[in-house]
Amino acid sequence: MDYILSIVVLACINMIAVLGLSIFTGFTGLFSLGHAAFVGVGAYTSAILTYYYSIPFPLALAAGAAAAGAVSLVIGIPTLRAKLRSDYFAIAILGFGEALRVILENLDITNGARGLPGIDSFTTLPVVLLCLAVGILVARNFLRSRWGVACIAIREDPIAAEMAGVRLFQTRLLSLVVSAVYCGLSGGLLAHFLSFIQPVMFTLLQSTQLLAAVIAGGMGSITGPLIASFVFIALPEALRVAQMWRLVAYGLLLVLIMVYRPQGLMGYSELSSLWRRKVPEPGRRQL
Amino acid sequence: MFLQTLITGLSIGGIYALMAVGYSLVFSVLNFSNFAHGAVIMLGAYVGLALATKLDFGFGLVLAGSVAGAGIIAVLNEKLAYSSLRRRKAPSLYLMISAMGCAVFLENLVYATIGSRFYAFPEFFGRQVVTIFGSSVSLLDVGAFLFALIAILGLHLFINRTRTGTAIRAGVCDMTMCSLMGVDLNRLIAIVFLLAGAFAGVAGVFLGIKYLVYPTMGWVTNKAYIAAVIGGLGSLPGALAGGLILGVVETFVSTYISSVLRDVFSFTLLIAFLVWRPNGLMGIDSEEKV
Amino acid sequence: MNVSTEKLFSARGLTKHFDGIRAVDSFSFDVAEGSITGIIGPNGAGKTTVFNVVTGIYRPTSGKVLFRSENITGLRPDRVVRKGIARTFQNIRLFNRRTCLDNVITPLFQRERCSFTGSLLGTPGARRLERDLYERAFELLRALGLERFASMQANNLPYGLQRKLEIARALATEPSLLLLDEPAAGMNPGETRGLANLIAEVREKFRVTILLIEHHMDLVMNICSPIVVMNFGTLLARGTPDEVRSNPDVVAAYLGKGKDLR
Repeated sequence: MDYILSIVVLACINMIAVLGLSIFTGFTGLFSLGHAAFVGVGAYTSAILTYYYSIPFPLALAAGAAAAGAVSLVIGIPTLRAKLRSDYFAIAILGFGEALRVILENLDITNGARGLPGIDSFTTLPVVLLCLAVGILVARNFLRSRWGVACIAIREDPIAAEMAGVRLFQTRLLSLVVSAVYCGLSGGLLAHFLSFIQPVMFTLLQSTQLLAAVIAGGMGSITGPLIASFVFIALPEALRVAQMWRLVAYGLLLVLIMVYRPQGLMGYSELSSLWRRKVPEPGRRQL
Repeated sequence: MFLQTLITGLSIGGIYALMAVGYSLVFSVLNFSNFAHGAVIMLGAYVGLALATKLDFGFGLVLAGSVAGAGIIAVLNEKLAYSSLRRRKAPSLYLMISAMGCAVFLENLVYATIGSRFYAFPEFFGRQVVTIFGSSVSLLDVGAFLFALIAILGLHLFINRTRTGTAIRAGVCDMTMCSLMGVDLNRLIAIVFLLAGAFAGVAGVFLGIKYLVYPTMGWVTNKAYIAAVIGGLGSLPGALAGGLILGVVETFVSTYISSVLRDVFSFTLLIAFLVWRPNGLMGIDSEEKV
Repeated sequence: MNVSTEKLFSARGLTKHFDGIRAVDSFSFDVAEGSITGIIGPNGAGKTTVFNVVTGIYRPTSGKVLFRSENITGLRPDRVVRKGIARTFQNIRLFNRRTCLDNVITPLFQRERCSFTGSLLGTPGARRLERDLYERAFELLRALGLERFASMQANNLPYGLQRKLEIARALATEPSLLLLDEPAAGMNPGETRGLANLIAEVREKFRVTILLIEHHMDLVMNICSPIVVMNFGTLLARGTPDEVRSNPDVVAAYLGKGKDLR
């Protein structure tokens, strides 16, 4: 039972990060190969706060999320301002993520590459479910807001979006920060669930896994990536597949998706009517 | 000390350049970053290792076998993972993600089947040392550097002097036009991947001799990728220059400043180039068309 | 809506070079408030480049763009839009995978001041605003006869309606100057006539000045005055349809010698 519980918790934690990346990749149309670094920033910030300074858990979680958002500005401002080609951007953020990991491996406060053990395990199933539920709700509201609508417009056509009054740079940056905050929150929860974090847990490989979930689930969908993320975590755990064979499967899956079904599980659509917006009744008011 | 550092830097840079050539070749024709290149280098090293340890081949045969093996793997990689994407003109990011998938797949396949053990090549060069301007350098380093120079020069001549080379250069400019002029695109791209794979084989053997053979050795190619970006993705002289510059600068940073900062420095360099000089030192203009 | 003599917009010595090619070469023209001004010229004359420079998609190599006597040269596109200039595109650029309603609501939303936290929490105020905007978007669709397609995905619309949807989206930015880039491209004669009526109607209803690029001579000659003729990036002629039609330079450049511009 404990085993199943831990799978569910881990899957939900992963879903929160995927939710964030989905806003950035699936809805804003920018690809990132470095979001695991934001998970790492959130994990280390919150863990250090509870471990060394005994800050209350919710505050530490918020601080971790905020720190991830702040760190995303460092890479976001120069690269998004320069309007890099989309693949160059993905690579720039990859470089940033790897650099962050090297830094985490060499700081004293993070205990270097050996990792930080003995973090209090505050993360319980209700906590995770609450965070996930709030996260989904906020994501949904965001995507319906002025800014979310702008993000989607940019994904569809950046030039037309600008001519619709969308501020390209600011909107993309906001989307990056929002996605990093989600990843930071996910990291904080992860640290306080595993009680042990290590820089190798936040590498390019993990970034690729997050991106794989978004792509497999489908661009422009929230429910698709959530399902994909759950399956990605839960299925191999349940089948007790060794880590390396999982990665073999991930790699193969990425190639197969790109070759046979680039729109993913449910590209540009949602599972339930919860997401469908009510359209005003035609013919109620005359112009 | 200074000279020693410079020479070490150049020899590392030579290997970076060998690897960077593969990125640039593919990028110049297909306009995407082939992240599977690192895995092909790794497989090339394993092929060489098998030939050297199981069949007791000499250095020349090992190199030839590794070149052939990696070349074939690269061509297969293109046929299986990229060709259908390329034909339906998918965004270059899709190709990049597919490449990423290949890298993860191949590396972990090796990890799961052959294992994570580190293997050493037989000592082809022994511990021989040559003396240049009073500083002693290992024969391997000098050999790697010279070989890299010669190989890249040869490739440069091939591309500029032969019929196939002309077709490749035409493909770089405009693939569609190139195929309208009667060039068989599939064959052309297969040749490009064969060349990239051949260089991966050479790089794999030298890397393996210098640093051992293991499943994730391909990640060193992150550096080669940075070198390709510095030189200008898609440019062969750029790949050479970028490789040498990165090798030297890195060695100096790790010798005189801190070895920890070395990697952070390289990644910062990567981002700086992408932001301020995305075409690198010698790259061709490759703006995404509006 | 009366055409006044007041200048709403003027370009002064507008020049745009691409790698040594002079797409637009010291081109000057004015647009009077309330007019429907037409830009015509052979393919490659630089018409669309003028639109791209005016709307901030390209930076001009030199020259000035004045809007209500204010210098707006080199402003970012979203700033230009806020000043009151909107446009459509020659090769339709809709938000393809969104509904017609969403296409129109995007610019409407960008004009509103919203509270970020309020939006994230979905406060009643935020919901009310969203509802209001959807109603306004729907009214815009109705004005262009698109209300039946409100919840249809934009790229599933027939071609002619996609052009109309682009106009609706442009109008949602509440412009005072509307730039239309070949609005009749790909339309049959019947649709083109309908479009002429629609453009005139839009000018009245939304009180916008219209500047349009077009190849359909019937449309231009019927609804535009004045007409500006471009050739090789420069101004060739300017005047009423009759003046332009009888201008020998225009006839020579546009149709080749010895033909009549009908």
